[in-house]
Formats: sequence, structure tokens, C-alpha cells
Amino acid sequence: MTYFQPASPVLSKPPVDVEGADARPRRAAPALRSPTLILGVVVLVFWVFCAILGTHVVPFDPYADNVLSTFTPPDSEHWFGTDQLGRDVFSRVIVGSRDILTVAPLATVLGVGLGAVLGLLLGYVGGWFDATVSRILDALMALPLVVLALMTLVAVGASNLGVILVIGFVYAPIVARTVRTAVYAQRELDYVSAARLSGAGPIVVMFREILPNVRQPILIEAIVRLGYAFFTVATLSFLGLGIQPPSADWGLAIADGYVFLSGGLWWVVTFNGLAIISLVVATNLIAEGLGAFETR
Amino acid sequence: MRKSPAIDLLRRLSGDLWNVAVDEHVEGHLSRRDLIRYASLIGLTGFAASQNFGIIGQARAQGKPGGTIRVGVDSPSGAIDPVTITSPPAITVLSQVGEYLVFDDADKGLVPSLALSWEANDKGDVWTFKLRPGVKFHDGRVMSAKDVVASFDRLVDPNGPSSALSAYKGLLSKGAIKAVDDMTVSFTLDAPNGNFPFYVSSDVVNCIIIPADFSGNYEASFMGTGPFKLDTFQAKKGVSFVRNDEYWGEKALPDRIEITFFDDYQAILLAMQAGQMDIMPYTPRLAPAFDHNPSLKILTIPSSAYDEVHMRVDQTPFKDKRVRRAMALTIDRDAVTKGLLKGRATPANDHPFAPIFPSAVEMPQRKQDIAEAKRLLAEAGVPNGFEVTLTTEQAYSLPDYAVLMQNFAKLAGIDIKLNVEPQDSYYGEAVYGKSDWLDSVMGLTDYGHRGTPDIFLNATLRSTGTWNAAHFNNPTYDGLVAQYAASRDLKSQREAATKIQELLMDETPLIIAYFSKFCLVTAAKVQGVRFTAISHVLLDRATVA
Repeated sequence: MTYFQPASPVLSKPPVDVEGADARPRRAAPALRSPTLILGVVVLVFWVFCAILGTHVVPFDPYADNVLSTFTPPDSEHWFGTDQLGRDVFSRVIVGSRDILTVAPLATVLGVGLGAVLGLLLGYVGGWFDATVSRILDALMALPLVVLALMTLVAVGASNLGVILVIGFVYAPIVARTVRTAVYAQRELDYVSAARLSGAGPIVVMFREILPNVRQPILIEAIVRLGYAFFTVATLSFLGLGIQPPSADWGLAIADGYVFLSGGLWWVVTFNGLAIISLVVATNLIAEGLGAFETR
Repeated sequence: MRKSPAIDLLRRLSGDLWNVAVDEHVEGHLSRRDLIRYASLIGLTGFAASQNFGIIGQARAQGKPGGTIRVGVDSPSGAIDPVTITSPPAITVLSQVGEYLVFDDADKGLVPSLALSWEANDKGDVWTFKLRPGVKFHDGRVMSAKDVVASFDRLVDPNGPSSALSAYKGLLSKGAIKAVDDMTVSFTLDAPNGNFPFYVSSDVVNCIIIPADFSGNYEASFMGTGPFKLDTFQAKKGVSFVRNDEYWGEKALPDRIEITFFDDYQAILLAMQAGQMDIMPYTPRLAPAFDHNPSLKILTIPSSAYDEVHMRVDQTPFKDKRVRRAMALTIDRDAVTKGLLKGRATPANDHPFAPIFPSAVEMPQRKQDIAEAKRLLAEAGVPNGFEVTLTTEQAYSLPDYAVLMQNFAKLAGIDIKLNVEPQDSYYGEAVYGKSDWLDSVMGLTDYGHRGTPDIFLNATLRSTGTWNAAHFNNPTYDGLVAQYAASRDLKSQREAATKIQELLMDETPLIIAYFSKFCLVTAAKVQGVRFTAISHVLLDRATVA
């Protein structure tokens, strides 16, 4: 098959699609055999289940206080103990997955979406546009992510929407740089030239020809960003700039509980910390599993 | 009226003002403790001293003199300067070197410090203070009236950096402080005020007496008249002081005081637990972390500090006072004081008259009453409740209290959304229109201890008040506060206070659910530490057992 065959419309059959159509069934099997991927997916699915149905399965109302009986250590009634307001920590950890699993994926979708579009433009247009915008993005990326997010959230105020927007906009340049590099590798290939010669406009070439061929780095980047987003959401909540009380959010719970650690009251921080770790590690396992399988 | 030789003796001590207070005492309306505190206020310092309520510095040493006392505090915000300080760690630092005309002692009320005695004219608008002779600054110069005049002129200068301007607004103006002679100072007030000695006391933390020629760089010398003097100071790290052997009173027991600045409260606590610090500040939020640690002890004094929930009376849904009262009735004050504040607080009645004020009048305690709250809401036309945002600051126990309020309000159908902000965002520029504290429809703010309720009554509730977050505008209230401030005798003060308390409970522009006690954490082996509810920590009688 050549890209110049009139019978094989370039726009509908780019090279990856041709290979991918046959390869996809063959790739599914090794993916399912990847223990890291499977473990990551299991943990992630568990937390998604908790986020959706957690309030129906927890033993106690996660928001009900019992202020006259606070900091009960873990026991048979309160498996993870109670917090500074007497709330059941186990119920709050289960339900606490909801906010982070709403905010972080939405922020990632925003960041990856914006970054992909920007990266496509930079890589495809190139020249002075690429040089100028890339330097601006470099300057933005030189600022520490959390500092940038903090400054923005202090200015616009703390809210879930604010956190989604801030993380999305902060991640967009990082994704854009990755996508730009991938587009650079594609834009001189024959199928792109063929598309141009066949009269396709730049938008069509970018989004219908090049984009499907850079989906692999975008997918990996999205999952890696998701892991970072979980961590960033937790960090911002910890700093008091993210999700608001009385949410059972894990970062918020650690911020509330860490001051009691030195008094031997370890359970609030430990169980919420383990929850964050499990989610971030699960996401990274998925990224690693997918990456290994995609590069095979 | 009961007659006894002791009471007759009391009556002969002073004139009408004093005798009204004695009458109140005889009739059982005024405790002996409050009577003695009142004696100090009107300048009967000799009587107060005779009741063992005399000058500060009388605590008996229980350990070996000498040694070093180590204190851990947060890093002070800004330069440490008596004219500008507001932060508790800076107050703790300055209480080693600086002194006031009068000291407001947690137990004894007003006690003479750099002033020996004071008195007012009949109208209560001119107060005269006799200074203590033989007091020297750390550089050896003798303190005189001109130093006192200069110190107060700096504080009331509207063009200067003084942090005390809000305290003196409408009370004391530049030029109104005069040296009558070398050892006498008079204050001519803008309006009569029966509580004025509190305004030249440690209650206004800025009014430390410093030399008349103070240049503005206080951290270079930490010049004062106190029992300790500067050894070394390192910005952001800490400061150390050594005993001032020229001190006018009993010489300090410790050889040295070391105060270390920490960026993180947790780090101070760890240092305490490791035995590297002897004293640290307390916050109720951290109580569970050290409540059961036998190597530490928590010292407690009553205070007038409270956390205030304001409700904008000029905005929906709080335009109707029945809605505001309903909100106040949802709160379980016992649960908050016993649970959240670990018993280190007393329930309050939505007005700022703390039990420590002699003028406070006891009234039936407002309690949680969900049925009555629902009835009031229905009467006000919101039988199904409403939604409102409560804005507060990320500080102390405020976010936890906000969560409790949210749960309490839910019982009456009120849906409170929380907006917890960093302190800088919450206070903004601290002026109307540019501050969530002053502009939010409902807010939760902490207020520190004051020796009199005057600043609370004026700044937070008067129509012209600069901290009137509730935007309360009630001419009757304004008139009652003016009447209260002008009252010279305790009976008149209490009459005005009764009306103010009743009015505030009826209108409920604020929810003041409790008055916090002020606490300090020390190592169990440390004795003789005294402190105020505004973060003064007096270490001249401290010893390590």
C-alpha cells in the first residue's frame, strides 16, 4: 500500500490506523497479562467504586460529629478510629475518594485537552510561532507547579472549580511540550505531505491525520498527569486552598490531623495518607503497564 | 443594709464611686474579687495591695534561682517594635524587656507597674498618673514623665505606624498627654471614660514605655525598663535576654531567657517533647497532642477572648432578627465548650461581656433549642430554612467550629456552606469593601482578650465601628454604649451593661457562643511562670525545679 494510491483515501486511512486495525486484538492479551497494569486497575476501580457508592456502604455517617468523644483509637467499632470531631475515619476515607476522583480527572482532561491542542499547533505550525510560544511555556514551567497553583488559587479563591482550572492550566504547557515533540516527528512523514497535497486544510491535517498518530504519548502523558493531579489536589487541600470542609477529602484530613501526630494520634494521617499513596501508585502502575505494552 | 466594722472600714477608703461598689458588694451583687479589681481601676492601689493584690512580681520562687528558661514561639510577623506589634510571639518577647504604666494581671486586675497611683477628675475625662521613682532604662537613664508623654504621643499619632490607633480612636488624641511634673502625667480624654486605666495598661500591648528619643529601630536595643535586657537578637531565629541587675523591683531569678522562633507549631511541640524547650504557646486544637503528657502541664487563666459569628443585618437572610436568633439557638454551646475546646472555655450569651468583667451581669444561659429555632424561622417566613455561606479563616479551631455550626444548623433546616480561607485572604485589607471578614454575609472571626469590653462594644457593634462585620446599626445600642463608657461607678456601668446585653440577645447580630480560657504549656519542672491572656509571659519569677 502506498499513500498515493487514489483508491486509498489518505484522510481515512493513515498508516497507524491500518496497522492498528489488525494489531488491537493482538495487543489486548499482553495488556491483560501485565501484573502492574492489572494491580493498578484493580486499585483504581476500587476507589472509583468507593467514590460512587461509598456513602451507601460505609458503617457511619462520615459527616456526623460526636464532639464529646474525639480521637478514639482504632477498635472493632471504629476500624480506623475517630478524628478531632469524633467522626468515623474509616467512613471518611472511603467517602473521601469522591472529591479527589472528581477533581483530579477533570483537571487532567482539561490539561491534556488544552495541551494536546497547543502541542499540535506548535509542532505543526513551527517557525516563529513555535519559538515564541515555546519560550513562554518554558518560562511558565520554570515556576514550581504548586507555587503557581497557590498564587492563582489565592487570587481566585479556593473551590473545586478553581482547583480544576488551575491544575488544568498548569498542566497544559507540560502536555503541550510532549505533544509538540511527537508532532515534530510526524509532520515531515509522507502521509502528512500526502494529506496536504490532497488539499486538506491545516485543521484537518492536525486533528484527523496527526492526532491519531500521536495518541500513544498523549495517553501515557494523560495517565502520568492524572497521578500528579491526584497528588496536587491532595497537596492543595493540605495547604487549605483546595477542597473545603466538611469534605472527607484525604488531603484536608491530613492537614487537620498532622498536628496531632506528635501526641501519638496517628490514625487520621496514616489511613488518609495510605489512601493517597494507593491512588497515586495505582495510577503510575497503570501508566507503566500501558507504556510497556505500547512500546512493545 | 448589713452593718459591720469591716464594711465601715471599707467605706472610709474613698468617696462616692467606691461606696457604690461597696454597696454592690454588701448586697451580694459584686464578689470580693471584683470589688478589689474595681478598687485598682479607680486608683485605690493601696487597698488592692493590702489584700495581697499588690504590685506584680510577688510570686514565690519554688525552684533554684539562676539558669536559663527556653521559650518556643511562632516567628513574629514583621519587626518587633512596641509601636507596631500585634502578633502574640512579639508580645511574649517584649514582655521580658518592656513595662507598662499599669499591668492587667489575670488574678489581681490592674496593678501598679511604672505608675504608682492614678486618679480621675469627677467627670472622668482627665486622668492623672503618678510615676514610680527610681526606674531606669537598660542604658542607665532614669525614666521620667517626658518618656511617658513621648511613648503615648507616638501611639496616638494618626500619621504614625501605631497599631494602637483603633484602641484610642475617640478617646485620646495627640497633644492630650501632658507632663504635669517630672513624675506626673495627665491624660485629657476626648470623652469621659471610667475604664481608662485599662487603656494605659498591658491590655493595649503597644503602650510600653520607651525612651523619648526612640529612633525607630527597636530590634537594635530592645530598650525598656523590664527585668531582662538584650543579649543577642537574630531576626527570624530568636532572641536572648540576660538579667537586668539595675531593675527597680525584685531582681529576676533566671540568669537568662532564650526565645526561639519556629515556622511550624508542630516543631515547637516536638522540641517541647524532646525537652529542648520549657515553655510554648497553647492552642485548643493541639490539646489532644499534649493533654496526657506527664512531662508537660497546661496553665490556664480566664479571658474575654471569643470567636464571633457575625450575621449581616443588612443582607438576606439575616435582615430579620428572628432568623438571627434562630441561628443562635441551633448551637449546642455545652458541646462546643466541653468537646471542641476541651473544657477550657465557658458558654456565652451572644454579647461580649465576659464573666471576668466586673460590669458583666449574669443572665439565663442561651441554650440549644431546635424547636424554638424552627418556630422563629417559620414566623420569619422561612419555615424550610435557607442556604448561606459561612466564611472563616484557616486558624486555630475555627474550621472545626464552623463544621460543628454546619451540623447544628442542619437540625433546623439551615444549609451552611463553608468557605475556609487563608488568613491573609480572609482579612484582606481589613476595610469595608475589601475584606471578606467585614463584607461576608456570615463570617467567623477570632477576637483576643481585652481587659474591658469597650473595644468589643465599640469596634465590633457600634454603627461607626471599624470592625462592625455584622453592619449593625442601632441608635439605641450606640446610645447605651456611650452611656456605659461614661459611667464612673460600677452600678451605672452594670445598669448600662444589662440593657446592652438584653438588646444584643434580642437583636443577635453576633453569635458569641463561648469565652475561651487562655492557656500556656510549660514543662512540668518549670515553676513561677505568669502570663496574660494577650500573650505576655513574665519569666522574672520562673525557676526550673
